Amino acid sequence: MRFDTVIIGGGLAGMACGIRLAQAGQRCAIVSQGQSAIHFSSGSFDLLGRLPGGEAVSDPVAGMAALAECCPSHPYAVIGAENCARYAQEAPGLLREAGIRVAGDCRRNHFRITPMGKAKATWLSIDGYLTTPQVGEFPFKSVCIVNIEGFLDFYPEFIAEELRKYNIECRFGSFNHPDLEQIRRNPSEMRSANIARVFDHDANLEALAEALRQQATGCDALILPALIGINRNDSLEYLRERVGLPIYLLPTLPPSIPGIRAQQALQHRFRALGGEYFLGDSVLSSEIEQGRVARIFTANHGNIPFEARRFVLATGSFFSKGLVATFDRIVEPVFGADTVSRPSRSEWYTLHFFDRHEYQAFGVRTDNRLRVVKEGAVLENLYAVGAGLAGFHPVQEGCGAGVSLLSALHVAEQILKD
Amino acid sequence: MNNTYDVIIIGGGATGAGIARDCSLRGIKALLLERSDISTGATGRNHGLLHSGARYAVTDHESAVECIRENKKKKKIAAHCVEETDGLFISLPEDGLEYQSVFVEACRRAGIRADVIDPKEALRLEPSANPALVGAVRVPDGVVDPFRLTSSNILDARMHGAEIRTYTEVMELLREQDRIIGVRAYDHHKHCDEKFYARVVVNAGGIWGHGIAAKAGITVNMLPAKGALLIFGHRVNNLVLNRCRKPADADILVPGDTISLIGTTSSKVPYDQIDNMIITPDEVDLLLREGQKLAPQLATTRILRAYAGVRPLVASDDDPSGRTVSRGIVLLDHATRDGMEGFITITGGKLMTYRLMAEWATDLICKKIGNNEKCRTAETPLPGSTESREEVDRKMRSKPVVQRRSSISRHGDLAVKIDSRTSIQNSLVCECEEVSIGEVEYALENLEVNNLVDLRRRTRVGMGTCQGELCACRAAGLMGHRNPVCARKAKEDLVSFLNERWKGMAPIAWGDTLRESEYMTWVYESVCGLSDEENRAAK
Repeated sequence: MRFDTVIIGGGLAGMACGIRLAQAGQRCAIVSQGQSAIHFSSGSFDLLGRLPGGEAVSDPVAGMAALAECCPSHPYAVIGAENCARYAQEAPGLLREAGIRVAGDCRRNHFRITPMGKAKATWLSIDGYLTTPQVGEFPFKSVCIVNIEGFLDFYPEFIAEELRKYNIECRFGSFNHPDLEQIRRNPSEMRSANIARVFDHDANLEALAEALRQQATGCDALILPALIGINRNDSLEYLRERVGLPIYLLPTLPPSIPGIRAQQALQHRFRALGGEYFLGDSVLSSEIEQGRVARIFTANHGNIPFEARRFVLATGSFFSKGLVATFDRIVEPVFGADTVSRPSRSEWYTLHFFDRHEYQAFGVRTDNRLRVVKEGAVLENLYAVGAGLAGFHPVQEGCGAGVSLLSALHVAEQILKD
Repeated sequence: MNNTYDVIIIGGGATGAGIARDCSLRGIKALLLERSDISTGATGRNHGLLHSGARYAVTDHESAVECIRENKKKKKIAAHCVEETDGLFISLPEDGLEYQSVFVEACRRAGIRADVIDPKEALRLEPSANPALVGAVRVPDGVVDPFRLTSSNILDARMHGAEIRTYTEVMELLREQDRIIGVRAYDHHKHCDEKFYARVVVNAGGIWGHGIAAKAGITVNMLPAKGALLIFGHRVNNLVLNRCRKPADADILVPGDTISLIGTTSSKVPYDQIDNMIITPDEVDLLLREGQKLAPQLATTRILRAYAGVRPLVASDDDPSGRTVSRGIVLLDHATRDGMEGFITITGGKLMTYRLMAEWATDLICKKIGNNEKCRTAETPLPGSTESREEVDRKMRSKPVVQRRSSISRHGDLAVKIDSRTSIQNSLVCECEEVSIGEVEYALENLEVNNLVDLRRRTRVGMGTCQGELCACRAAGLMGHRNPVCARKAKEDLVSFLNERWKGMAPIAWGDTLRESEYMTWVYESVCGLSDEENRAAK
């Protein structure tokens, strides 16, 4: 099989890169093993929440410019501040064209509310999720927080505890339904995706609307766990209309319904643009000729190679197995690329879970055009994007989604320019 | 006065819990004070090996005899905490076979059944054993769950009138001339001091007993010996595996519930480090290297966590250099030893002999207060072990099968008390360990659970392969739901739990463990927005 570009990895970075290339008319393939970090998405996309020193960032574009000064190995610095600002303007359009309705401004962070009620600075949030322009500036004075009975991955009491700090009156509600009782027959089935499927049925959604209307009497608004509309788009609007009150969603513990939906939307968009998406396949080996990746072989296609002029490594970090930690070193398993890491395991982490651990910034070694380095030499036609890049702390700096999107757009532009 | 007791026991390990039970069965009014949760010291940080005594047969006849006697008793009185697996002492080519005959002879002398079996038969019994083995001896080793055992003793003590106060730390021994008359303790929950009085104060603080005795100006020369262990992600072996040679480092592989454990290393540590056990990369290497000789597949088995305990070895009174240590039971009556009435120390020994230690200590208490009741703990089953597993299983037929099995193995006949009337109560909080909402609620109500780590010790929530990936959050949610006033505390508690888990994961964080850690960081710090700023501020 021959393509212009083959992308390995179907997470946010791989998808965004594939969509941009396909839009430009490239014949493009994505080989995806299936699970990616999107499955534990929060319903928002972070660009930059904190600088490496811990200072809060209110203007991510300004923050990225500061990073370019202080941290030359950060992906944003490698991409360049001006490019970053440009891609940050472009990225929301790419998501919206895929049907992911996001709002936000790369010059000013807003705050998403977490399943524990905490406020986290973010860039783009999906329509319907509870956000505030500033910490504590809630769009209501009193709210009813409703959970699904027996659902353990959402925490009304924890949310209320935070909201009450800002004098928001909180009340609790709950919802049960005979169809949920069916799920509960199997003790491990009360998880987000299964419940969400129940609410895809009109009658069940109507029953929920009715219960919400009764329980929310006297409140300004409702908060629900993000368990509605896994396969349909109109659930939230329908509920809002039937209840006659603003309804806000909060993410749950994984699997994340907004994440699954975003994944589906991007996949759909990529295919609609003519891209070929190989789901559930993984790369077993590759052949490198004269400093270029010539072809790769996958589990599902045996001896039929994927050939392309360019390849993009979008396999993620440890969770997605784009990086593998052995006893004493960090390995990139697909191409055996060089990695940026520390030699001694005792330097990989500290003894406190919430510390900034060095291992989180480990990644694939690249040149300043994000081309992958192997055995000290640049592979001319292999680029790296997303979580597998080195030099950043996605969680502490609140820049995971941003690095994925911006590096994807940057690499797409490099490929198209060549 | 309600702060006066016959006896105050300091320390909530197996020994302290055993003394509280023994005392209350003999009608003695007892108060147990523990600075943290029960089983947090050496009790909860060892192999969980139900010694047959074979390991000590050659080097320490007396300990071997004590072990085999207690082994037989435990199988009767604590059946739900014990798994009768049997054990193999295997000889590898590098060990030779000379030791085997010495070993078998010593076992027989101590009254321990020791059957020499053919290497082929050994591998059939235990396929995970090193196929290079040249000899094997089968002995009645087994597995004991120290958390269950201690918790059961505590339950029974309380049922018979003992008072148990966890998170209450003894700060001072109250003294009147040459007599200890009580203690001043700090309640870590209420943040206040309280005084308690008793005719006898028992120091059952394990290695911390050194510091407790010092509060009375008494020197008990203890030598902290650190032992590190690794837990593997699934049950590799079904029989306990030992090396048939002089006891050495990392030569015992013990199965337990869903996991296997290799241990231990042994190194002296300074007394001021006993609350600060860090596992070094060298210790991990040693454990893995030696462990693979017992069961080669450990090389490719995922490690879940590393931890270390501190053995309370006691230097003989007549050897100030501390070179002569005893692994045997040490009972000190400070009236005769130091001229201090009303104060005794029980230490040394091991988990295997906790009941015997409790019996000795209680006998001495009885002598001091003039109680003539006989000890009954050798034949009275612990709560949870009063009915056979089959009988309990029959009573619980309506529950899902795997959950039934798990909860019976954890709680014995008390599993019937777990409310499972609704499908919500049957929903699982922890999938790896099959812990239901009903079981969590039972533990919260009946088993003195103050936080998530306590809950883990009672139910195994968060102990499985995922190491509390999502179940910790769910359990925190349930605790917050039961007491919405304490939602903030439940959140802080979740942060502490994650920090605690990470300490055990960090020494072995590569491969899948590092994957899980990265995932947990995403879930808890990014999606949930937790940080330990609040906890740090609180400290």
